[in-house]
Amino acid sequence: MIGLALRSLATNRLRGILTALAVLLGVAMVSGTLMLSDSVNRSFDDIFAAATEGIDVNVRAKLEIEAGIDLPESGAALSEDLLPEVEAVEGAEQASGAIGDASSIAILDEEGDRIGPPQGGPPHIVNSVQPEPFSPFTYIEGGPPTANDQVAIDSFTADEEGYEIGQLIPITGNDGFSEYELAGITRFGSGVALGGASLAEFTLPEAQRITGKEGEFDEISVEAADGVTPEQLRNNVAAALEGEPVEVKTGEEIAADDSEDIKDGFGFLTTTLLVFAGITVFVGAFLIFNTFAITVAQRTREFGMLRTLGASSRQVLATVIAEAAALGLIASVVGILAGAGFVELLLAAFKALGFELPQSGLRFGSTTIIVALAVGMVSTLGSAVIPALRATRISPLEALSDQATGDSERGSRRRTVIASVLAVLGVLIILLGLFGGGEFGQALAAMGLGLVMLFVGIAMLGGKLISPLASLVGRPIERLRGVTGRLARENTLRNPSRTATTSSALMIGVALVVFVLMLGSAITKSVGDALDKTFTGDVAIFNVDGFSPIPAAVAPAVEEVDGVLVASPIGASAARVEGVDGDQIVTGIDPPTLGEAAQLDWVDGDDATLSGLSVNGALVESSWAEDNDILVGDQLVLTTPTGETVTVEVEGSVRDRVALLVDTVALPIGLLRTEFDTRQDTAILATFDQGADFDVVDMRVEELLASRFPNAEARSQQQLKDEQEEQINGLILLIYVLLTLAVILSLVGVVNTLVLTVLERKRELAMLRSIGASRSQVRRMVRYESLITAMIGAIVGAAIGIAIAIAAVTALESEGLVLSFPIVGIIVVLVLAGIAGVLAGIWPARRASRIEVMEALQYE
Amino acid sequence: MEAAAANPSGPAVAETIVSCAGLSRRFGEGEAAVDALRGVDLVFPSGELTAIVGPSGSGKSTLMHLLAGLDQPTSGESWIDGVAVTGLSDKGMTELRRAKLGFIFQFYNLVPVLNAEENISLPIRIAGDPVDQEWIDKLLEMVGLTDRRTHRPSELSGGQQQRVAIARALASRPAVIFADEPTGNLDSTSSSAVLDILRRSVDEFGQTVVMVTHDPRVASYADRVVVLADGQITADQKVSGEDEVIGLMRGH
Repeated sequence: MIGLALRSLATNRLRGILTALAVLLGVAMVSGTLMLSDSVNRSFDDIFAAATEGIDVNVRAKLEIEAGIDLPESGAALSEDLLPEVEAVEGAEQASGAIGDASSIAILDEEGDRIGPPQGGPPHIVNSVQPEPFSPFTYIEGGPPTANDQVAIDSFTADEEGYEIGQLIPITGNDGFSEYELAGITRFGSGVALGGASLAEFTLPEAQRITGKEGEFDEISVEAADGVTPEQLRNNVAAALEGEPVEVKTGEEIAADDSEDIKDGFGFLTTTLLVFAGITVFVGAFLIFNTFAITVAQRTREFGMLRTLGASSRQVLATVIAEAAALGLIASVVGILAGAGFVELLLAAFKALGFELPQSGLRFGSTTIIVALAVGMVSTLGSAVIPALRATRISPLEALSDQATGDSERGSRRRTVIASVLAVLGVLIILLGLFGGGEFGQALAAMGLGLVMLFVGIAMLGGKLISPLASLVGRPIERLRGVTGRLARENTLRNPSRTATTSSALMIGVALVVFVLMLGSAITKSVGDALDKTFTGDVAIFNVDGFSPIPAAVAPAVEEVDGVLVASPIGASAARVEGVDGDQIVTGIDPPTLGEAAQLDWVDGDDATLSGLSVNGALVESSWAEDNDILVGDQLVLTTPTGETVTVEVEGSVRDRVALLVDTVALPIGLLRTEFDTRQDTAILATFDQGADFDVVDMRVEELLASRFPNAEARSQQQLKDEQEEQINGLILLIYVLLTLAVILSLVGVVNTLVLTVLERKRELAMLRSIGASRSQVRRMVRYESLITAMIGAIVGAAIGIAIAIAAVTALESEGLVLSFPIVGIIVVLVLAGIAGVLAGIWPARRASRIEVMEALQYE
Repeated sequence: MEAAAANPSGPAVAETIVSCAGLSRRFGEGEAAVDALRGVDLVFPSGELTAIVGPSGSGKSTLMHLLAGLDQPTSGESWIDGVAVTGLSDKGMTELRRAKLGFIFQFYNLVPVLNAEENISLPIRIAGDPVDQEWIDKLLEMVGLTDRRTHRPSELSGGQQQRVAIARALASRPAVIFADEPTGNLDSTSSSAVLDILRRSVDEFGQTVVMVTHDPRVASYADRVVVLADGQITADQKVSGEDEVIGLMRGH
């Protein structure tokens, strides 16, 4: 019987290839993602191990709260005075203080723009020259900077920009910009790309000056004397610095930490890619299920005949399962190999975005192979189980029936009940995730699980929904195209559950696309609305990359500009608030000037509260405060990133749901600078003098920034909104790209179903030709069927996407989200789905039209 | 054509509807080649029911395929209502089918998603012509399915399905209907009903029908029987009664 299964696979090569594609694409995404993650993680380990090779012990400012994706970097540093103390520690051969700072400089190109991708990108990092054996750098050309007006740049950046030794390179730092002579081209650590980061090495004094850390170090590296282990030295240093806000670690620990930090950031990417790989696998499962369901139906007579020959139902089951297993295995193995191609694709995409990922060669790790193989086999076998069970229920009697068309699989009542329960449970889980008040990750997981259940439920129920939907889509075609349209519509209804499964695959893609579209539109609208209400000034100044901080020197300089009334700086720091779970972002505001550039939405207090905010006063965001039972008049105990505590008094409460200015707590920016080590600003809100000509003053501000702070940029209200929309659209585009494979797969599913269906209706198609249907009429009929199937999926998908988005936006109302219907976008999605449907029909239609009339007359 | 409808009362003589000359068909090449048909000349006048009979392998199906333009001859020519079938393009063939040809198959071949009435009017709608409802009603009445017009094929018996197929073949008022073992899949009662209808279409509408069968009883409904053996015509004459047909087939 197993031999029969393999024979069946070999004879139906086309069907096999299309089905294998479903397994292959998903497996390729999974294995590619895992391989990439492996390779990148290993290279980061190598890089940092090499970079800290000569360091036995490392001293840094102690961080109670680590910066993260949404938490600002702390500006905490070490006092220079610690160096002699470390040097004096027993067992220390030598020690060296250094700067290593990722947020203070921008290396500029000839036009004065930050090098790298225009929308920001990887950081530009400052390092100071260190003596051997501490230096992480080796020099490919030239040597380390020996004067304050010299710099050494990493080879990747130098190659990219075509730098040559001796050339002048403009770099902007904490207090404006200067030009530096290129003294050397460096290699960091083991010499692979650091995710696209640019590294600039300066002399220690210049590194301190350019980062605004005069008299300070970011770290002190120590070499152990002969016979002293790094661990002993670490303990000695720690003992000597007892009571100082520092963290002492061995070189190995530091390498592991640094590598871990950067890997965590990358882990987010891995997770995202795996989620989309999962979606692709899920969509593929529909295709596999459908193929097996159709072939089992078509082989009804064959299975019946086998039963008459004495095959047991178990043997029938085995043939189908064996066919699935063989298919799954072949497709998985090819998929794992194809994963390497997927990695190349990803790397190219990242490089195009300016993030060059480090790599140490692809290896097919055992975990990758096992996971990818498991994904491929489980999805294939899991999808084939139900059709296989269906095959076992075929009675020998059915071998005798002459019709083996596979039409009208019975939709049992039990199936309807199971499907309904699944769909309802799915919706409940989604709602629970959204409104249950769990954490973000939990909510996402619940939504994922709920959606999977909902999609499966709807696909199973689909048989019942297909008829009205096919009418909705098919009637207009019928009106326009007459009898071919009619036949196409009726054909989709022949086996409603088959049409439902086929269109469900597309439904998933469309639902996710529409959901993302709706959510993006909601975010754009809410932020736009909030900007309109809150930002009353003329221009806002940000880093050109849109998210990095800007030097604190910018605000006073802008305020000096003729025609500028105020330039109110905004800062941010990570913090912990006593009694509140998790790390928070606290905002720094300038109470005397903010009122001139922004209108706060007061819940408790008024503009006088702002201008009169005391040195230790705080404003809170009203819904955050409400959630955490914080009232005006309360004392809040805040923990700074370095672990110090600061007590402030709540003096007012404002509504700022989209967290434009106040995410949780806003403090006077002076307090942030003194207590939270916040050295830089996140933004500046500037208002021009009354009656001043906007264009004139705006130009003056732009000129100032261009000449002194080229990495800062002034944006008008409208530009801010446009830019925000662009960012959201960029994100949406990225998600579209990641969904592409899943959508392609769902179209392959349409092709597959139609090809199998055409095969099944061969005689009927031939008959149509015999009664005068032209080839083009037959083609049209199949294309319309494809169009109707695709549109059913698209319409149901869009409806689900809209419904889930409405639920999500409602759940996020407290975050300030407002519903918005991107009607044009949704229509575009539907039209594209229709076009895709027609395209998917082209090939099956051609096959159908090639059927000769003779075939209607031949039996068996 | 309209001539048939305009002349409902009798078996007309004169006009030739289908003819062929020197029709040969060879399958395969070299030593394995089989000559299924060897130089057949035939003329089918309008308004006649002709049965092509012969044992299996005699070439009767091949002959019908060639006459109906489903297959191309190795040599020779054939005409339908004045149109040369040999070498017609796919488009020309489609037009010919719409205007002049009707088919009846052994396995009915109805469209399962359309009801009886819709199946009958399908050829007219495929051709994009307006449907003459009176004509469809008349056909339904003739095949005795007026009360089952809205039933789908799966709700009809085999004989009823074949009656729908006959009405469908008649719907476009073709010059000729080719029927391939039209009763091959039916019991004798249903067969008789189907054959009666075919007979009536010839008698009442002056329809020309060419029917392939191996069954002498079926052939006995015909005006004329053409007997084939080994790709050649062994008999071609008017018949009356089953015994005469059996005699012809045995070569007497």
